[in-house]
Parts: sequence; structure tokens; C-alpha cells
Amino acid sequence: MSVPAAPEELSDGILLCYCTALTIGELRQACASGNWPPAGKEQSGKLCTGCLGDLLYCQRRFDSIRRP
Amino acid sequence: MSSSLSALLSATFYERGDDHLVELIHQRDTAAHRRLHSLDVAVYDPAGKLLATPPVDPGREVLDLGALVEEIPGVPDRVMVAFDTRYDERIFPYRPHQYAYLHRRGSTAPALYYAVNAVLGGVPDRIGVTTMNNFETYLFRRAPFAERYSVLLGCLSRFAAVEAQVYAHYGRERTSREVRLEPRTHLEVEVPAEHGGERLDRVELKALFRLAAYVVGRRAATGELVLFDHLFTYFK
Repeated sequence: MSVPAAPEELSDGILLCYCTALTIGELRQACASGNWPPAGKEQSGKLCTGCLGDLLYCQRRFDSIRRP
Repeated sequence: MSSSLSALLSATFYERGDDHLVELIHQRDTAAHRRLHSLDVAVYDPAGKLLATPPVDPGREVLDLGALVEEIPGVPDRVMVAFDTRYDERIFPYRPHQYAYLHRRGSTAPALYYAVNAVLGGVPDRIGVTTMNNFETYLFRRAPFAERYSVLLGCLSRFAAVEAQVYAHYGRERTSREVRLEPRTHLEVEVPAEHGGERLDRVELKALFRLAAYVVGRRAATGELVLFDHLFTYFK
């Protein structure tokens, strides 16, 4: 599945999941190390669900970087 | 108890000509500080264009959206206003609850009061609740009181578009409409008050990811709001 270019910079400090306080930097690091989800962030995307689309989008981006 | 900051992204819609006051901090505990740590307000047009990020003191309790929005040059008739908040859970153990007053200036319709949609961060991990926030319902009174109905939808995603279905129920009949919202866009989905001789009795919203959503009722002649409410996460 192709991933479109990011419409906004994927800055590490951006808060991705407001329910678990997961940042883009934490997700990037977890994807790079193959350790998703980080401890304490297991519920990311699953509570209010408002961030789930962005979470999946970012995961695809970061996984495609790790596994070109 | 953690002293790290928690986050909430809530949103509502402002329409030209309305008196619309948002109570950013609904807490009357005199022992608490009653203050958000930070507050970023952002105003978006229907196409998702960021129109303004007006500075607002995070210690402010009530925000006048009319005064804030109508200062923006070229602002359209309806905008989405997002409130990106950081708060201390020791002050707001669940989250800052935000309520609003809404009334068209000069209208004879009664004022409306509603709870502002907590879109992202509405279910903080620490409270241990799991619920489906992206399937929502609104039940209408049996006696009609508005002449035009709609659902206002806003997408607070940064990157991902959201597909959603709006179902309208009329007795045993049901109609549906599918919509797609790009990041930060918003739209109004009209819902006919009658279908096949039956009155509208409920609407349902099903979305892959939670949206900012309100059910709206208007007087046909003037468009004045007589209903503005969030949907509920229960089903009939």
C-alpha cells in the first residue's frame, strides 16, 4: 500500500494520542526498534479513537522507513 | 499520582451572528487552581484551512467565540474552533469539562446550552474506561420542534482522512449518507425531517475514527438554531 507524502511535518514533539500522551517521537522510536507498543502506551488509538487514523498513518510511514 | 500533563483536544462550530460563549474551565472547587496549563485555539474554514490561532489566556474561564472569530478577516459563515489543552490531572481528575451557551443575536428562540465535544483525549488512559466513541446516536423527541435537521461533522486528524456514515431512522425506514473528511475539514450533513411519511426519530453516526459531531435543528425560515447537541454513545 502506498503512503502519501506527509501533509504536515512529522515532528517528534507532536502529541499523537491524547489519551495515552504518545508522541510521534515515541512512535518513531518504537517502530525503529521493533518494540511497539512502548510500555504504558498499549491503549494508544483505542480509547477515544480520534487519533487512530493518524497513528496508523505514522506507523506505515515509519515502518516503510525501517523496511524499504 | 502522576504530575505529568494530560491533553485534551475539543472542538465546536461557530456560525456568524451567534452569541456563543464557551466555558473553558467548568470547575468551582475553590481549593483548586482552576487553571489550564496551556491552551491553543485554532480556527478552521470548511476546507480545513487554518484561519487563525488567536492567543487566549489559559487561566480564562469563559471565551466569547463571536468576539474571537468575527475579528478574522474574510471569515466564512461557519468555522470549526479547536481547543488544544494541556492540564494537570491533579486539578482535573477526569478532564476539563467544557460547556457552552449559544443564541442567535436577536432571535426569539431560547438559548441553547451544550457540552463541547471532547474529540481527542476524551477518554484518558488513567481512568481505565474502554468504550466505543466512534459509534454515536441521537434520539429525537416525538413531537417535532425544529424544521430542518443536520449533523455537523469536523475532522481533527492531522494526516488521515476519515470516512463516516450518517444514518437517519424514520420508523422502520432508514436512509444513509457516506461522507469523507480530509484533515481539519468540516461539513454539515442535512437530514430530512420526514421520509416516507414518517418523522425522523434518530440519527446514528458511524466513523472509523472519532469526529467532532453535533446534531443541529433549525427554524426553516431563518436558520436559527433550536437544537445543538452532541451525540451519545448508546444505541436503541
